Amino acid sequence: MINLTTHKVKVVKYRWWWMLLTTILLVPGIIAMIYSAVTYSNHAPLKVGIDYTGGTILQYGLEQKLENSDVTKTREALEGIGVENPYIQILNVNNTQQENTKSNINSIISIRTKFIEEGSDDADKITECLTRNYDNPELISVSSVGPTMGKELFKNSLIAVTLAFLGIVAYLSFRFRFDYALAAILGVFHDVIFVVGAFSILGLVYNVQIDGLFITAILTVIGFSVHDTIVVFDRIRENLRYYSKKMSFGEIVDASVNQTLTRSINTSLTTLITLLALYLWGGVTTRDFVLCMILGIAIGTYSSIFFCSMLVDFWNDKQQTA
Amino acid sequence: MKNKILMFWFIVAVVIVSSILIFVKPTKLGLDLVGGSRLLLEAETTESIAKITPEVMNRLQFAIEQRVNKLGVAETVVQQVGDKRLLVEIPNVTDLKEAKAFIGETAQLEFKKEGKASDGSPIWVSTGLTGQDLSKSILSTDATGQWVVSLEFNAEGAKKFADLTKALVGQQMAIFFDGELQSAPRVNEAIYGGKAQISGGDSGFAYEEAERMVNLLNAGALPVPAKIVEENTVGPTLGADSIAKSRKAGIIGLSAVMVFMILFYHVPGVIADIALIIYSLILFALFKTIPVTLTLAGIAGFILSIGMAVDANILIFERTKEELRAGRNLFTAINSGFDRAFTSIFDSNMTTIITCTILYLLGTSVVKGFALTLAIGVMVSMFTAITVTKNFMHLIFGTGELKHPALFGLKKDEIGQSYEATETKREKARFGILD
Repeated sequence: MINLTTHKVKVVKYRWWWMLLTTILLVPGIIAMIYSAVTYSNHAPLKVGIDYTGGTILQYGLEQKLENSDVTKTREALEGIGVENPYIQILNVNNTQQENTKSNINSIISIRTKFIEEGSDDADKITECLTRNYDNPELISVSSVGPTMGKELFKNSLIAVTLAFLGIVAYLSFRFRFDYALAAILGVFHDVIFVVGAFSILGLVYNVQIDGLFITAILTVIGFSVHDTIVVFDRIRENLRYYSKKMSFGEIVDASVNQTLTRSINTSLTTLITLLALYLWGGVTTRDFVLCMILGIAIGTYSSIFFCSMLVDFWNDKQQTA
Repeated sequence: MKNKILMFWFIVAVVIVSSILIFVKPTKLGLDLVGGSRLLLEAETTESIAKITPEVMNRLQFAIEQRVNKLGVAETVVQQVGDKRLLVEIPNVTDLKEAKAFIGETAQLEFKKEGKASDGSPIWVSTGLTGQDLSKSILSTDATGQWVVSLEFNAEGAKKFADLTKALVGQQMAIFFDGELQSAPRVNEAIYGGKAQISGGDSGFAYEEAERMVNLLNAGALPVPAKIVEENTVGPTLGADSIAKSRKAGIIGLSAVMVFMILFYHVPGVIADIALIIYSLILFALFKTIPVTLTLAGIAGFILSIGMAVDANILIFERTKEELRAGRNLFTAINSGFDRAFTSIFDSNMTTIITCTILYLLGTSVVKGFALTLAIGVMVSMFTAITVTKNFMHLIFGTGELKHPALFGLKKDEIGQSYEATETKREKARFGILD
């Protein structure tokens, strides 16, 4: 028999509390998404970057440090030369991180405009304008996405996510049972809504925009979330084989969660350690991507322990009383 | 025990081969790391070519390849994406603006004659003689020292040109390059021999202008115009910065994970760390052999796969500890620990591979790089967890009773507590349990 008294976590007993906690975690993000969808002109629940809307981003590296007032200053200067609605972002680079590189860039100024067509000299005008205002701006990156490409990427992303969902449901139905697959997928929804909601809030508060890499991060979160859930479900499946006559389903769920608890936490910890290292010391360009995965893996661990196993137990109860 | 030792030497061999491969093969770095330009061109239909067929795409690709090669940069890539797009990758390009203009130019050379529009106004009409009829063009000067572009027609072109000039004696003939009138000389007599010259009109050609036209004509015209629909350019400074930072982040992350494993799992933790190093070696050797182009997203995929590789070890150790707590001897505890953890590892990794496959098939090139590194990482991690970790555990701990629980981070009084392992007869046989 499994000793039930030493359990640290009681999923079944505090079922309603876990549901409440889940609600508290998800609601702010959902509100932010609805608010964004209503107020943004393109009715997207998130602030989307040029990968989805089309546009051009020019990034310049500068030796001098910039201040927040430089955003307005640069915007006004650019509007002065006829650039429509430029969106300016300033990234200050911590120079101590750069000992290994020859560059002495201390700040990056990133300018987002509408898609600059081939043959247009808008990019040159912007470079000229910056050269007038700052010392030696160095054009370090250009990304440009045509308006039709953005729509295509959006469509492809939706197809990719849907197919990933179907693939996972099919595999889990085959290896486990359909209701387990459903619980795992609801867990995935839970995690995705949390992460998208968090980025919706970040978009509203800090103007964080999502790019093509965001969908990659979301898909990784999906993979990880299911990964975690499977480990718990695998244990439930195994315990059912040995103890289904001696213990109730709820007891087995609780026991399985507790048996896999150390593993779930340790695995998430090691992954979070690597991601945190990437966040703190990695490149600026992948920072949001890494943040998305950090949030997703943290919530994925929570959902696999509390949310998904609670659902499986909940359904089992409903089936037995019905 | 004999196959355990054989396995050990096999692992040693794999490590040696991987190390040699890492040492010998170069690393393929993506444009976001070395700096360079990624352009996506889309073919556009014209009046004469209403549909983009694979044949048109092949011709377009050939023409663009010719031009990209003329840039004199190593390791360029031109490949077809979908049914009407071309992906062009140019590393280390110095003058991007120039390169873009050069690649995107249709370079359509046309000879036109005088004609009348429906309302009677004079216009230039096509003669059917185009850049396709050329065999080559050369940069030269004319009698007055002006730069001119000398044209040599192929056999068919020479005949067309002769017929045309014969018919047009006394009239003007216009030469258009990309829709722009270059010059419109008066034809004095029929020209045989298949040679002609383009002068730059009244003002003449600047040297660069003439040289560019010669290069474009020799590279061949694009069968259809191609427009840049997506561009990604990273300067070499940003690339070098990204490499340095990713390396630093990777080393810090990996070291922190290794310390964590030793603190939490003691001796098995050390084994997991060795397995992790072997894992990284094999993975890098594979990346270099296949070869996989390392991008920033790819490095992120790699670091994430480290997390998953560690997970396999954690699952196995947790399970082994449980078996030890139940009072098993070392051999059976390690065996059943592996066996029972394996279904979890397999199922969870399979779902990751499913998502990676979907990403690889549908994603853009950035996403593809991420999916590929993660998928390879997950597969290699299954191999190292099962062969390396298991083998080292057996070799180090042997088959006896657990005498020093502290080696596993267990306390003496935990043994025989909390969990009673149960198994079927078949499992007992597999784990080597004797009642």
